[in-house]
Amino acid sequence: MPGLVHIVDDDASFRTAIERRLRKAGYEVATYPSAQHLLDCLPNESELACILLDVRIPGLSGPELQERLSELGSTVPIVFLTGYAEVQTTVRAIKAGAEDVLTKPVSSEELLGAIERALAHHQVTRNQKNRLDVVRAHVAKLTPREREVFELVIRGKTNKQVANVLGATERTIKAHRHRVMEKMQVQSLAELVSVAERAGILRDLSGAGQTN
Amino acid sequence: MVAWISALLVGVAAFLTPLQVTAEERRSRSILVLDQSDLRGPFYYSVFSGLRSVLSADDRSHITIYTESLDLNRFRGKNHEALLQRYLKEKYQGVPIGVVVAAGAATLELVLRWRSELWPEVPVVFAMVDEIDFGRLRLPDGVTGNIVKVPLADSIKAARTLVPDLQTVAFVGDAWDGLTVYRNWKGEIPIATSGLKVIDLVGQTMAEVRKQVVHLPDRSAIIYSAMFSDGEGTYYPPATAVGLVAEKANRPIVVAAETFLAPGGTGGFVIVPGRMGEEAARLVLRILHGEPASSMAPAMSGAVKPVFNWLQMQRWGVRDSDLPSGSEIRFREPGQWEKYRWQTLAVAAVLLIQAGLIWVLLHERHMRADAERESRNHLSELAHANRQATAGELSSTMAHELNQPLGAILTNTETAELILSSPAPNLSEVKEILADIKRDDIRASEVIDRMRGFLRRAPFEDKAIDLNDAVRKVFDFLSVQASARNVALSFEPSGEPLQVRGDQVQIQQVIMNLVVNSMDAMAAIPNGRSVIGRTEMNGGSSAVVSIADSGPGIPAEKLNEIFDPFFTTKKQGMGIGLSISRTIVQAHKGRIWAENQREGGAVFRLSLPLALS
Repeated sequence: MPGLVHIVDDDASFRTAIERRLRKAGYEVATYPSAQHLLDCLPNESELACILLDVRIPGLSGPELQERLSELGSTVPIVFLTGYAEVQTTVRAIKAGAEDVLTKPVSSEELLGAIERALAHHQVTRNQKNRLDVVRAHVAKLTPREREVFELVIRGKTNKQVANVLGATERTIKAHRHRVMEKMQVQSLAELVSVAERAGILRDLSGAGQTN
Repeated sequence: MVAWISALLVGVAAFLTPLQVTAEERRSRSILVLDQSDLRGPFYYSVFSGLRSVLSADDRSHITIYTESLDLNRFRGKNHEALLQRYLKEKYQGVPIGVVVAAGAATLELVLRWRSELWPEVPVVFAMVDEIDFGRLRLPDGVTGNIVKVPLADSIKAARTLVPDLQTVAFVGDAWDGLTVYRNWKGEIPIATSGLKVIDLVGQTMAEVRKQVVHLPDRSAIIYSAMFSDGEGTYYPPATAVGLVAEKANRPIVVAAETFLAPGGTGGFVIVPGRMGEEAARLVLRILHGEPASSMAPAMSGAVKPVFNWLQMQRWGVRDSDLPSGSEIRFREPGQWEKYRWQTLAVAAVLLIQAGLIWVLLHERHMRADAERESRNHLSELAHANRQATAGELSSTMAHELNQPLGAILTNTETAELILSSPAPNLSEVKEILADIKRDDIRASEVIDRMRGFLRRAPFEDKAIDLNDAVRKVFDFLSVQASARNVALSFEPSGEPLQVRGDQVQIQQVIMNLVVNSMDAMAAIPNGRSVIGRTEMNGGSSAVVSIADSGPGIPAEKLNEIFDPFFTTKKQGMGIGLSISRTIVQAHKGRIWAENQREGGAVFRLSLPLALS
């Protein structure tokens, strides 16, 4: 699977060696001597890619970069490379969503396997994300009133119940509901609930419900 | 009336008689000592001294001693004797005398003559009477004493010991008749001197004698009896005369009186006058204690013995072993040892004590050096253990540093394999890869060298250390660790070179402990972690290294405590790092302390004396 591999390592020699090997394997490669360099030109999310990240780099460390990228909503999988596999670091990295943790020196087979898996994973998450993005875009088009109606409907409220909650006539609610279905591009209530679930809206709501 | 008086007299006589008897039985404790010459002369003075010392040692009661010198050498004749008799008679009338002591044959003769008139029945003790005179004088009852025997033969014998092949003897002395014991030598001369040439200077004036004795023949000796005058009207004790003779004599002088030795006599069988006096005194005491003199037979005196003058022996080359057995040697000049015995002993003792002290000090120094060496070695071992512990902490850093080149090498190798297995390998790329591999290989071995250098277990070294360089190396070494822990590590060396003495590895270890410590202290703060190292000249005699961090600082009350062993705030720390650091710094005659910075964070400083260039 072709893809772009971002290499973040302060060791120029190591960077060169990996770059050389990955290019031989047919990947595109971008190298960064520090985490900051990568942050300065963030990877294009739409491009199939992964990041090879050294745990110990001067300045911002590997795990810190991972955290920052996660905050930025990056889905690019991260394969950690470490000179010394400390359990604590490894666990922390995996928990934070790392694709893999490899220990230097790493064989080409192992490295390429990890990159391949990462890229495949990225492809999946990228597709999911794309779909999700569509749903979120639809949700964004809803008016506040439509959004209120949408949130109540997917929780199984009847038009009458919704009308009572929102203090409107059942007829008005019916019209809102119709526009919601249109904007969300769904044909049935079941489909609407499924989309909401995937977009995480339902989960958010039930969480909020619990706190109430 | 007459009858009455007669009766009274008889009564008195009858009354007095027993008293008289009692007086006789209990002798008067006064004695009269008569000497032949002059008590002020050395000879008779010695006789008298010996006598008095024995008498005064008697503890029964005090004895009164009267002395009279008859001076018979200078005054002779019937008139003189008569005068003396009258003088003594009148002087001692009414003085009860218990014992009369007569020194000299001539004196004894006069005493015996005067006795019936002056001291009837009073016991007489004589001294200084030789056996010939003794035989001549028929001694009555109640007269006893010691007979002295100084035959000329003994003097000749003594002369032979002084001059081994004696050929000539020269007689010096007053005319024989005027002498006491020596006058009997005259008759002895023919036999005693048989086989010897005789130079007879007897009766010569002192001037003549002194002229003659200057050039006596070899293998000769002078036999000195006694001279009491120079023959020209000057009288002196014979001891003085012998000195005058000795001044000129070119040969040894044999004498027969102890008192002649000191002025210049060489020696001989001499009369010891003091002993003669003692002998007489013992007889006097026996008599005074009630022993009848008549039962005390005259005995031979023990007052004659061979005595020699050591100084004269040296002059004439006479050795101790040449002398007759039992000889006494006088005036021996003490050797250096005898003379300075105490000084020598004191000096020796001082030297000995000093030597002992030096030995003890040297021993102590040796022991201290040993102890110091041992302590330094212990420190080295402890420091080594500390470095190993630190190395454990740093092992991840080390692995990281080492695996970096190894990882590159592995990847490069595999890439090269890939290239080479392709149908048309790009060899220039392979060449490039091999160069990279080589460089990484060298890098890896450098890492190992650095590790080995740091972990080396070596005895304490005392070498010149470039402090700036040593500290920089530690900072370089820790840079990876610091970056991994997100700590900004910087080092600001002093402008001028700083040279100290000691063990570089240990000094570096201290710096490393301080930096690692600072990094640990900042683990909890979220950002802005920094450690700044500085080296500075402090005055002209010491260098100061400071390690400042941006951590929370040290509670003021713990600023000193932190250097104590087993003081730790870390969960995994042993609390020996700072303690060892302090020990190391102290072993380098330096000081280490901690402060809090005004702007926050702690600063550790260590000062080390600069090496004298």
